[in-house]
Amino acid sequence: MQANQQARTSTGMLGRRRWGPLAWPYLFALPFVLAYAAFQLYPVVYSFILSLHDWNGIGAKTYIGFRNYEDLLTRDPLFFKSLSNTLIMMLMSIPATLIVGVLLAYWTFQLNKGRKLFQTVNFLPYITTPVAIGFIFSYLFDWQTGLINLVLLKFGWLTEGIYWLQGEWTSRMIIALMVVWRNLGYFMVIYIAGMTAIPQDVYEAAKIDGSTGFHTFTRITMPLLRNITVFLVVTSVINGLQLFDEPKLLYGGWSGSAQVGGPDNTALTVIWKFVDDSFISNTRFGYSSAIAYSLFVLIVLFSIISYKITAPKEDGR
Amino acid sequence: MRALKWICLIVLSVLSLFPFYIMLVMGTHYNEDLFKGIPLLPGSYVAENLRTVFESNFARVYGNSLLVSVGAVLLALLTSTTIGYAVAKFNFKGRRALQWFVVVTMMVPTQVGLIGYIIEMRQLGFGNTLWPVILTWAAFPFGAFFMIQFMRDSVPNDLLECARIDGCSEPGILFRIVMPIIKPGLATLSTLVFIWSWNNYLLPLVTINNSHWYTLPVFISNLGIVHRTDYAARMAALAMTTIPLLILFLLGSRTFMKGMTAGAVKG
Repeated sequence: MQANQQARTSTGMLGRRRWGPLAWPYLFALPFVLAYAAFQLYPVVYSFILSLHDWNGIGAKTYIGFRNYEDLLTRDPLFFKSLSNTLIMMLMSIPATLIVGVLLAYWTFQLNKGRKLFQTVNFLPYITTPVAIGFIFSYLFDWQTGLINLVLLKFGWLTEGIYWLQGEWTSRMIIALMVVWRNLGYFMVIYIAGMTAIPQDVYEAAKIDGSTGFHTFTRITMPLLRNITVFLVVTSVINGLQLFDEPKLLYGGWSGSAQVGGPDNTALTVIWKFVDDSFISNTRFGYSSAIAYSLFVLIVLFSIISYKITAPKEDGR
Repeated sequence: MRALKWICLIVLSVLSLFPFYIMLVMGTHYNEDLFKGIPLLPGSYVAENLRTVFESNFARVYGNSLLVSVGAVLLALLTSTTIGYAVAKFNFKGRRALQWFVVVTMMVPTQVGLIGYIIEMRQLGFGNTLWPVILTWAAFPFGAFFMIQFMRDSVPNDLLECARIDGCSEPGILFRIVMPIIKPGLATLSTLVFIWSWNNYLLPLVTINNSHWYTLPVFISNLGIVHRTDYAARMAALAMTTIPLLILFLLGSRTFMKGMTAGAVKG
């Protein structure tokens, strides 16, 4: 606070000498604000206007009010199916990534030797191109030649191969697994960063009080990492609702076939439906904008809910 | 307990590494052999696969991807650093509003404006070029937030005061004094933006229809479909796509972790 006070007086002092200093912070903030207005805000507003129109991208736009939203919510069962698919895959992946991520961070953080090696190895999936992840997983889970079936058959745990990629639940499970596999390293890094920020004397004090391993972890480490957990949960809810790369590349990228939504649409996510309706199977720009906006509202809603659930209550932040 | 911990660590690491390893190994085999059995050891078909890859447009597409990622990093760093400096180190009317603005923009999902963005780009005459894929990074809310956090803690106010008294201009202070101090933050943010823009799939998929301007993810998912689907060649291409990121991360991993600690976590 004192430093701020100082800063103010000195800016004032310089202000007499030049016109500049008072304007500088605004000038510095300008590039970001302008770029945001031009490349993010304008498209978002424009999309909302489009969502009130019937438009195929070429012909004339017809204003139809909220009819797109009406159609979407009352006459398009596929929208709700894609939404529930997305939510199911999120429920499968987010808790698992959080738990394994924090354990991985905790374990590697305590290592003296090989810490960097383990961290790098576990961060590898995060830098792997999603295209590769899609190919690799569809190869591993292939019914005939996939490694998973071969191993299961060899050990006699199965008598015949499972159609992993064709099943309703197995397909979702594989996508959730891809998401977990990819994000684990990222979660680990964020948690490690948080653990670095915890002062060591907290642990020493706990040790003197006779706290050991598991107890220290649940009673000291986890509560101190609360803000990070909140951050990770909220961002992964926001990103999870926009899931697209993994399902699309598991089914669309590998074979070159344009199969949409996986088997019987069990892997169709909201963004996949949105992209398909606007660029791949169709060019219903107005209608797809309505999908995007409905998703926007849901994202705001879900991120508030997830914040309320995870955020600490006493800590008046 | 200790043994259990080690077993878990090793199993998780193997699981992390395995698909990555498979990708490298598959790129060294003859395509049709991939479906006879599971290759666990490297094959001897690397040269041929690489030839298949380079006979396509690969080198050019690689250049495209590099151009996109370097452009994205430069743009994102410039706008994030300047707004970060303004919000973290100045006292002015509207500072709190600006900070609030950055947090809100971070919550707005980018996909919502996708259609509007594409139409805008077409109207600007940027359809089927690399511009849409680069310009989307011009305002990167996470970067702005990250920089505000990072500068607040790591740039001492006294130093700025001294520079001002010595008559250094404000841009001079930012580029000559602040920039060297926040190097770890810049490195971390560059790494993240590079990874994200390099791996971006959806935006190039819907904005670029001309194979001349493809970026790597879109290009590889279409590679070899015309004649025969050569998975081995694709894997070789994918391995080459991932390796630069690996090197980038290995080189900067210490700074990266430091930067993460100072920038992303304090919030």
